Amino acid sequence: MPYPILDPTGTTASATATATKTRAPRAPRRRNLRGATVGLLVNTKQNAAPFLDEVGRLLIAEHGATGTMARTKVNFAAPAPDDLVKEMTTGCDVIITGIGDCGSCSASAVADGIAFEAAGLPAAAICSDAFRVTADAMAELRGAPGYRYATTPHPVAVLTPDQVKQRAAQVLGAVMKLLTEPE
Amino acid sequence: MTPTPDPEEAQAAIEYCYTRGWSDGLPLVPASQPLVDKFLATTSRSPDEVIGELEQVGRNCTVYLAAVNAAMAGCLPEYFPVVLAAFDALMRERAARGGGWQSTSGPAPMIVVNGPVRHELGFNAQGGAFGPGFRPNATVARAIGLIVRNAFGIRPHVLEQATQGLPGRWSICLAENEEESPWPPFAEDGGLPAGASAVTATLLRTCEFVDNRHTPDPVQVLWDVADTISRTGSLIFRDTSAGVVFCPEHAQMLAAAGFTKHDVQAWLIEHCGRTGADLRQAGKNGLRGIARFADADTSQDATFTRILPSPRHVPIVVAGARNAAISMVVRVFGEWSGTAVEVSK
Repeated sequence: MPYPILDPTGTTASATATATKTRAPRAPRRRNLRGATVGLLVNTKQNAAPFLDEVGRLLIAEHGATGTMARTKVNFAAPAPDDLVKEMTTGCDVIITGIGDCGSCSASAVADGIAFEAAGLPAAAICSDAFRVTADAMAELRGAPGYRYATTPHPVAVLTPDQVKQRAAQVLGAVMKLLTEPE
Repeated sequence: MTPTPDPEEAQAAIEYCYTRGWSDGLPLVPASQPLVDKFLATTSRSPDEVIGELEQVGRNCTVYLAAVNAAMAGCLPEYFPVVLAAFDALMRERAARGGGWQSTSGPAPMIVVNGPVRHELGFNAQGGAFGPGFRPNATVARAIGLIVRNAFGIRPHVLEQATQGLPGRWSICLAENEEESPWPPFAEDGGLPAGASAVTATLLRTCEFVDNRHTPDPVQVLWDVADTISRTGSLIFRDTSAGVVFCPEHAQMLAAAGFTKHDVQAWLIEHCGRTGADLRQAGKNGLRGIARFADADTSQDATFTRILPSPRHVPIVVAGARNAAISMVVRVFGEWSGTAVEVSK
């Protein structure tokens, strides 16, 4: 065959580059959350704000965090812009991001978690369990294969306020592990 | 006798493309450098020019990659300027630059071709406008799908999370029936001069037919269209966008009654919407920011809520045969940029 069949993906060169790259950096873990300011990065999906607010409240009430700093992403589909990452890195000690509850926002919640880890903050992304595959794929793209995040059962958007609180309580243990347990 | 190509070689090449994960499910044309060179020769743009970027996944598409994918989609080299214009038009859509390709809604590009290029390349501009059956229409749309899959790396079940997707994804490329349209070409609404060879594109969530072939009253046709546009199932935000691909018969009936395209848009903006009670019944009466939710509040039950904010949210195209009065509501995903792209050589 005189000519090879051409590759339509354009990834051959960059895939090799990724394989030789070191893994995405992970921030040092805290031993606990006493005295910590918890950053809540809300992605505007239905119930995301009350869910993360409740996680923040529980981290204060049960784990000694001193306060929260909530910020909302303008575009849920894209990773948080650099200036927002910088602002929250300066003002917070740990980050909770979510709720990954759609095709693009689950992936970007994980990308945000990885970005905060690189900036030196332990982060816990929370995704609906229906979006594991896309969240894992994004982690791989960001050089963090096997990146761990917390999941809550799908669906989230239809939950009542009380159910949201229950879900927040259920995921709290996983969030604490992500923020404090060494890998 | 000219020998026919070796079918076993062809089959092996097709299977190779499948094993590499490049296919959308249908056989691909294996692309070789000489074939792709013919595509690249149809444009003055550099093969290295980046024509689209998807920042969140760290991928982009160059003219070269677009050419490889267009070749694999089954395009002829001379279609390539239309593929490039279609891709440029799509990259003007906010949804296509953002998370649209990854979305659970699984949107489909709708590509509209205007001007002499329709006839020069043999686009179908008459019956069966939504396809299938015509190589330029079918393969230009497919090329876009392959670019998203291969150059952007957005694959089903992985970064593409369509819940159900929609029929016709990667196959909707209409050529406007300008010859039987009573109105200026769609590309003029996108800011280009009359007679230009041009492509316009947006993303769709679905297409819904309006079959109304027995009334002589154009306003009754508009009411029928308005009912389809106003169905609650499609309303998820405060505003919506829904275009109409009118068949020539409906368009001509409206024009004969004095309706310009703008008049039709204004009529639909005025009459499309639902009462608060209708929206509440479907759990969509409340607004949190721009998102609808189920609110127990009944105070707005009697209020009629309009849903189309501007003429740009009601793009109007004329396509299809003049053999029946069947038009199509095309449900826009997000909103149309309002611009058309000239096909350049």
